[in-house]
Amino acid sequence: MKTFNNNLRLFWQGALLSYIALFHWMRPIQYMASKILMPLAQMFFFVYLGTYATGSQNAAYYIVGNALQIAAVSGIYGMTMSIGGDRDNGTLAYIFGTPANRLVVFMGRAFMNIMDGSLGVVIAFMWGVLLMGLDLSHTNIPALALIILVTTISTCGLGLLLGCLALITVNVMFVNNFVYFLLLIFSGANVQMDKMPAWVQFVSNGLPLTRGISAARLLVQGASFAEILPLLLGEVVIGIVYGVLGYLLFAAFEVIAKRRGTLEVF
Amino acid sequence: MNVRVLVKYWRTVLTVAEMTMRQQMTDGFIVFTVLFQPIIIAVLGLWMLGDKGADAAMFVVVGSGLTGLWSSLLFISGGSINSERWSGTLESLVAIPTPFEVVVFGKNLANVLQSLVSMVVGYFIAAFAFGYSLNIQEPLLFFVSVLIAVVAFISFGLIIAPIFVMNPGVRAWQNAMEFPVYVFCGFLFPIALLPGWTTPISYILPPYWAAVALHGTSTGGASLDQTLISWGMMLFFSVIDLFIASRLFKLMLYKARADATLGME
Repeated sequence: MKTFNNNLRLFWQGALLSYIALFHWMRPIQYMASKILMPLAQMFFFVYLGTYATGSQNAAYYIVGNALQIAAVSGIYGMTMSIGGDRDNGTLAYIFGTPANRLVVFMGRAFMNIMDGSLGVVIAFMWGVLLMGLDLSHTNIPALALIILVTTISTCGLGLLLGCLALITVNVMFVNNFVYFLLLIFSGANVQMDKMPAWVQFVSNGLPLTRGISAARLLVQGASFAEILPLLLGEVVIGIVYGVLGYLLFAAFEVIAKRRGTLEVF
Repeated sequence: MNVRVLVKYWRTVLTVAEMTMRQQMTDGFIVFTVLFQPIIIAVLGLWMLGDKGADAAMFVVVGSGLTGLWSSLLFISGGSINSERWSGTLESLVAIPTPFEVVVFGKNLANVLQSLVSMVVGYFIAAFAFGYSLNIQEPLLFFVSVLIAVVAFISFGLIIAPIFVMNPGVRAWQNAMEFPVYVFCGFLFPIALLPGWTTPISYILPPYWAAVALHGTSTGGASLDQTLISWGMMLFFSVIDLFIASRLFKLMLYKARADATLGME
């Protein structure tokens, strides 16, 4: 019981402090700009581009896709910075020097980014309804909320994996940006996957967001929870696979870095 | 200012541009911003607008290149002074007889030229990977448009850099300033799609006029008068930007010396 309590405390403190460290340098108004204005501008850009390409009747398709894509802001950037930040700030050696449960430390980095990412998606949907005319009257809202949460978790799973790369490379922003922008294509947020080449569909099926976006679109069209359940479960599995891979990589990098003495070598 | 001084400054600009390019080729963030990001946007745009034909493909190639130009201006040129500060070379650059803005002009030139590479790569992707037969409808006018756009972008960048240095708070808005310019300047779709009240915002942004000139001359969609107007607007804004920039650089260096914060952020 004592171990459980210690781990819970460690999880919560790690979650909270890593999140504060990520944004502490910002004033509230700047934080709002990064959480509200940037996603809104990105949504507008791709929704206008999509409606220019296929007609205004398809606006909902792009609004839903790009609203869920916002999960990748916290999922990719937030996660890699939360994990890589320990290396940048010289605290990684202390973390690896403690007897703390690595899984708890690792998951603690994800928790606040999941909450933050989900909130970002909710705000994006709100913009969709208020500014872009998204109609949610036929939508099962609790199911949509679950999709948002699960998709953000699975995206954070990918972020955990990428975050581990931040432990061994200084060009982590390159990796982040690359993955984030590729997700704009491969997640199906902006292109219809059934019209894409087979190799694109293959890659897309192995990524987070893809099934979440498809499920959200179905829900907005009026689908029931049972209809989107397979997509939801698929998204859960994808998230678990990436999360586990990330944790294994995290554990492996600790061993390699200690053996080679390259823990803070850039 | 005589010709000898101008030639000396031009040599400085070219040397700084060359050094900046060499240095930036190893920076993953910069390579992504000037090259990979516009290419990914080009590929995405080509898939999205694929049904609209070759003209739309040319529109996407030029537009995605413009997104690279703006992003490089915002993130790289915007941080060009601070990067010297972090390297510990800002004091030396400010102390040399050549005006500091000439040095930053050279850095901006490098950024803008690097970004144009993405337009070329986008062209080849559209031609070879997507099979479009792409022709620049008005090659001479397009070439002149590119030259004037380069001047306009560099001049705009000269304003952004000192503003970011003097107002670190504004720099934190960088991420939020990227996509609005893509939208308001009509890089990948006409601004006619936007609500009417946003049109004046587009008109006061030099990248909008660059987009009008480059899209118009590459697709043949603009009359000569429209192209001439967009050139005139780019040159007009360049003059204004250079005037404002010269004042901002003086103010920035005065403040830095008076507050003894030249090397401090």
